[in-house]
Amino acid sequence: MPGVTTEGGENGYVGLILVSHSASIAEGVAELVAQVAGQEVPIVAIGGASDGSLGTDGGKVLEALRSAAAGPGAVVLMDLGSSVLAVRAAQGELSPAELESVVVADAPLVEGALAAGVTASTGASAPEVAAAAEEARVASKL
Amino acid sequence: MPASSERTAVLPGEVALHARPAGAFVKDAARFQSSIAVAANGKRANAKSILEVLGLGATGGTELTLSASGDDAAEAVDHLATLVTELAE
Repeated sequence: MPGVTTEGGENGYVGLILVSHSASIAEGVAELVAQVAGQEVPIVAIGGASDGSLGTDGGKVLEALRSAAAGPGAVVLMDLGSSVLAVRAAQGELSPAELESVVVADAPLVEGALAAGVTASTGASAPEVAAAAEEARVASKL
Repeated sequence: MPASSERTAVLPGEVALHARPAGAFVKDAARFQSSIAVAANGKRANAKSILEVLGLGATGGTELTLSASGDDAAEAVDHLATLVTELAE
């Protein structure tokens, strides 16, 4: 099972797939998003290499993208480096139909996931959720 | 000409508009068709954007100005003003 999954699931809400080098980061972000956005949004947290060290497990990423594409869709957020490469590699394995329901957001992981989670909880579509995540690139904190 | 509506609401003394309360606020704001702004501390945020709302840095006791424009503007500001005054940690 690829990390934390909140209650949501088969309820029609677009989900989030969070990919980090660190399982603790991915799971911590999932916990924060669930706290702010509520439990309706399905969140899959993928962190660490297959041996548990820091890194990215491309197989888990592909499995999560495939599984989301079979349901109501998802927005993918990742930290950097090999997480990005793993997501891009997984995208390359998906069919055109699957690619339509799984949208990758170019956004900072924590802030983007928060914005995406709250937007997804309103019943927004995957492109709308991804757009909310990408606003995190310009949102000022101070 | 769309309807517009504005009113103020004060955050409870012990509740800052931080992550969880801001999430509750934004989720409710998103249910309305109107465009809705919330202003505090000289800043103005889109009430449907969690990051903008968090960026207000509104602490407990802060007065928020809610303004909306659209067909359900009055309901939106009334609903959100009530929500703000009833927020809890």
